[in-house]
Amino acid sequence: MYSVIVVPPACARADDQIKIATGERLAFGRAGTGGLSITHEGVPRVAGEIAAHRNFWLLSNHSEDQTYVVENPEGAGEHIKVGPGRLDAPVPFEFSRVVLPAAGDLLAFDVWAPRHTFRSVARTGLSGALTAPAFTLDRSKRYFAVLTALCEPRLRGEPHASLPAVEQLVERLRSVWPAVSRSAVYWNIDYLALKLRLRPGPDTAEPGQRVNGKKESLVSLALRFDLVREDDLAVLAVGPSEVVR
Amino acid sequence: MTGQSYVVPVPKGYRVGHWEVREPLASGAFATVYAARLTGERAPELPREAALKFLPTGTRTPRQLRHLRELAEREVDLLGRLRAPRLIRMYDTMTVDAPDHPELDGATVLVLERAEGSLDAVLERTPKPEAGPALLAQICEGLHQLHHAGWVHGDLKPANVLLLKDGSVRLADFNMAAELEGTHAYAPAFATPDYTPPELLWPEIDERGTRIRPSADVWAFGVLAHIVLTGTFPLPGGTTEARCDAATRYARGTEELRLSPELPDVWEEIIRDCLAPRHAERVTRVPDTPALLRRVEQAAGTARSARLPRLRPRRWRRPVLVAALAAVAMGAAMTVTYTLRDQAPAATAPPSCERPVVYEDGKHGHGYTAGWNSTWDFTIAQGDGGSQVREAQCLLRYLHGITEVGEVDGDFGPLTHGAVVTFQKRTGLDADGIVGPKTWQALRKAKEA
Repeated sequence: MYSVIVVPPACARADDQIKIATGERLAFGRAGTGGLSITHEGVPRVAGEIAAHRNFWLLSNHSEDQTYVVENPEGAGEHIKVGPGRLDAPVPFEFSRVVLPAAGDLLAFDVWAPRHTFRSVARTGLSGALTAPAFTLDRSKRYFAVLTALCEPRLRGEPHASLPAVEQLVERLRSVWPAVSRSAVYWNIDYLALKLRLRPGPDTAEPGQRVNGKKESLVSLALRFDLVREDDLAVLAVGPSEVVR
Repeated sequence: MTGQSYVVPVPKGYRVGHWEVREPLASGAFATVYAARLTGERAPELPREAALKFLPTGTRTPRQLRHLRELAEREVDLLGRLRAPRLIRMYDTMTVDAPDHPELDGATVLVLERAEGSLDAVLERTPKPEAGPALLAQICEGLHQLHHAGWVHGDLKPANVLLLKDGSVRLADFNMAAELEGTHAYAPAFATPDYTPPELLWPEIDERGTRIRPSADVWAFGVLAHIVLTGTFPLPGGTTEARCDAATRYARGTEELRLSPELPDVWEEIIRDCLAPRHAERVTRVPDTPALLRRVEQAAGTARSARLPRLRPRRWRRPVLVAALAAVAMGAAMTVTYTLRDQAPAATAPPSCERPVVYEDGKHGHGYTAGWNSTWDFTIAQGDGGSQVREAQCLLRYLHGITEVGEVDGDFGPLTHGAVVTFQKRTGLDADGIVGPKTWQALRKAKEA
């Protein structure tokens, strides 16, 4: 059972993603022996290592003199620096872009940690083990805005409303997320399916139907288990507290 | 109790149906349970005290939780259809009609058997209770009754195990319970991670929920047994997250299971089998709950270590302890315990299958027991299994001399049926082959001592 997904540079297909489970390590560098290979002359043979730990991950920098930067692409410039020789620096982001400087170029690959968990704080003070939802969503993430926009018609009291098309989602999200694009929305729908471990339905043969079926499943799941509620529609409104960056 | 937040605040003295709400008893993720007493005219079928479980299912509750209604329906459905001695009893359900209390209006109320407290509370006060093995045998019995009826509990943990005044166990909280459809059941996507098998820690899910199997309850029972017997979780770690991480590594084969060394061998074996890392291995090692129950009852030496206060005549106490310890030390070597017992003076011998002994039951007076079960009213019939069946078989064979019952094996088959019919004819009862209260009475009949 994996907890961290490494997406190699220019990775188009899900098959190329590398999934590692807690306790497992993945080396990256030019050598690419059994790990993630980054073919660029400026990259050391063994440039570093990623280790999955619980639901987050650790980055080791094996280079002599390069500092690596781990960015949070949804974090408005939020990033951490991992200096040369640093071992097992914890990375707190759900989405990360690891940037390696290499002979004047900047190379990057992505790492996702979809099992980040959130607990309700409402039960503080109660004893005993808590019965908790099997999955949790970060309400400040873009995927949550996408899911809310998907559920919006039904949350507004039309249980059988047809789901918004991707173009409509882009329009709806633009006010809170100016840089939104079709591909970004598709990406977030795919990511939600992965994060919620949606079991693929039977009608997934046709690509068009596939996206539609995925949207349907996401919405019925989200509504059935109250992952998105009526008050969450606030994330779609521009307000003083900017929820989605 | 201060500083706690209640899911459903209900003022003391509030009236619902025949009931007047008293103090809060417990609060969970979805519901709050209050003590209540019967008011107004006496309804003969209702107890004078009960526990009212409030689930905020009203349309005007602040949270408007849709899935809560589903969770409430699950519990009502199960308890409405299933009544078994080890499952909490539901007397009634009501919907609150209180337009002036928006947070209460529409709430679902379950009128439940009043328990003294939960196993969780017991463990908080006394970790590793002396009665641990006996409690585990009863919990396992409850699980057996649930699985036998085709349901999976889905959230077995100490907080959901209740103890009645007489110290007997009831399983409760069936909001996650799911009825089997073939090999699977669909449970709501909620779990208590510390009691969740590795394969369900990050489960696949579809619109109907998570697919779970009875083996999930078997894992939870393994965790619970380890906690009851040793006071610690079976997997290492100071936090739930760390323990789940360890469970994941264990399931992947990168970490070994190291159970507490204080566990007696026979329990170690049971817990290790319940905690088999994957579903497939778990069902090989624990094929079903009747099989598990047989092992647990044997390990606990169940009624022989009769801990239920009323069922513990003083003079048995020491030999019982000796026998129980011997059973533990020798694994399942029953012969050794019997030898030991035979050496004890007859007057102080604990009951055995071959030599049932008279004891005093607080409600039913004097009666024989073969040491397997102390029920006077649990109905059993052909097709059933467990300690009640074993008790009946022992009494038939060794107290009433009906050898056609065959081997004492805890399975109510045709031979047992035939023996029961013979016994019923002999004692002038309806010869229907079903062991109900009257037949138990006759089976246990003893002269007042």
